[in-house]
Amino acid sequence: MRAVRAAARLTRAGRWVMLRVLINQIRFTALQAIVLVSFLAAILAFLVISQSIRQLGRFGAIDNLGTIMVVAVIRELGPLLTALIVVSRSGTAIAAEMATNRVMGEVTALEAMGIDPYIYLVLPRMLGAIVSVATLMVVFDAVALTSGYVAAATNGMSLNRYTSIVLRTLSAGDVWLTLAKGVFFGAAVALFCSYHGLAVKAGPTEIPQAVTRGVVATIVAIFIMSAVFVVIAS
Amino acid sequence: MTAQRASSFLTAELAKFASAPPLAYRDVALLGRPDRRFTLTLRFGEVVAAIGDENSGIEVLGTLALGLAAPTAGTVEVFGLPIAELSYYDLLVFRRRLGYLPQGDGLLQNLSLRDNVALPVRFATDHRLREVDAKVAQLVEDFRLRAIAGLRPAQANEEDRRRAAAARAVALDPKLVVLELPFVGLSGRAAMDLLERVSRSEEGGRRAVLLTSRDLTPSVRGLVSRVVRVVDGVAVEDEK
Repeated sequence: MRAVRAAARLTRAGRWVMLRVLINQIRFTALQAIVLVSFLAAILAFLVISQSIRQLGRFGAIDNLGTIMVVAVIRELGPLLTALIVVSRSGTAIAAEMATNRVMGEVTALEAMGIDPYIYLVLPRMLGAIVSVATLMVVFDAVALTSGYVAAATNGMSLNRYTSIVLRTLSAGDVWLTLAKGVFFGAAVALFCSYHGLAVKAGPTEIPQAVTRGVVATIVAIFIMSAVFVVIAS
Repeated sequence: MTAQRASSFLTAELAKFASAPPLAYRDVALLGRPDRRFTLTLRFGEVVAAIGDENSGIEVLGTLALGLAAPTAGTVEVFGLPIAELSYYDLLVFRRRLGYLPQGDGLLQNLSLRDNVALPVRFATDHRLREVDAKVAQLVEDFRLRAIAGLRPAQANEEDRRRAAAARAVALDPKLVVLELPFVGLSGRAAMDLLERVSRSEEGGRRAVLLTSRDLTPSVRGLVSRVVRVVDGVAVEDEK
């Protein structure tokens, strides 16, 4: 909240600097992770749909394929896996960078210059993580749906059938849920990792511990939020 | 308190203390010991060197002057304001009136030397981008950083880093500059050059400068108005 309030106080050139940091953060968090997220989404959807078609086909319940695709992959596993990828790539980097900033005296130097470290360090990373996680979740869903079709096709299902089964379960609410999870999970990655990074006091040896604390706290928070989303959505 | 309100509040407060000294330590317990008090007043245009051994108390003079730490006893007044009593955002706005070169250099490692110098100008003024660039180019020129301005701090040598940090400290043309152990690792000539540039204001006048040091070379001593020797948190000598 302090970082968001602080944003209103930015000067013109300060906003430009923050925008540059934000773009860099999005490039590192979203752009450079697209291949990994797409790859894992494709593999996951392919495995889930292939196995589901085989098992459901034995009971004549192939129409439930859409429920598995939407509920298991799109609503739950997609956001969780995307957030975990972002935590492992960018969360660690954020926590390590913040801890280094603290240990090297850069946070104090910022405060001494009259620059709020929450504006300069935390806010762009938080906005970058929110935009990146939400975007990556959409990418994950698109790739998973495509890969799910490939799996269905290799098991003899037509595109029309696959589309109608999936679309019967998929709703506009799922899109909003994905975006909402993107916002909350992204904010959690940036805030928990920044907090634990900036909390370092003793010296460089504390940096790896801060990274571990930040990542663990973020993962726990993401799983708890997932559970809360299930309760709210139901 | 928002920055604008904080800024107008500080302007009004500072107007009341127009004749106050730029920096005054009044009975400050530098080492946290109530029986060892430190008193020092800086005047406008004066360059004061506080020299002392390790753990003499000079290490905290800078952080106390910037309000980065509060004294356990006594008061530190900057332009007449007891700085420890200001709120966090008032302090942020207030510090833009001061120049500070922390021990080491305090440069941000992921920025080039030019971007480090530009940082306070970009964040603390409402200049247009072109004006910011012109101001930064002038500072880079003044502190002889042009050839190495694109380097990161880790790629530059100690003298260049210190000059970049000094350029950043005076980027907003402050009336008071605090330098923490600025000459460690510098030759006498480089130290003299650094102090000469830092103590000269943009209009050609002299800034009030408080510097801390273990010792002073004769060349630097020539640029200093007063030398205060600090032992166990107390000023034992004050020579002009």
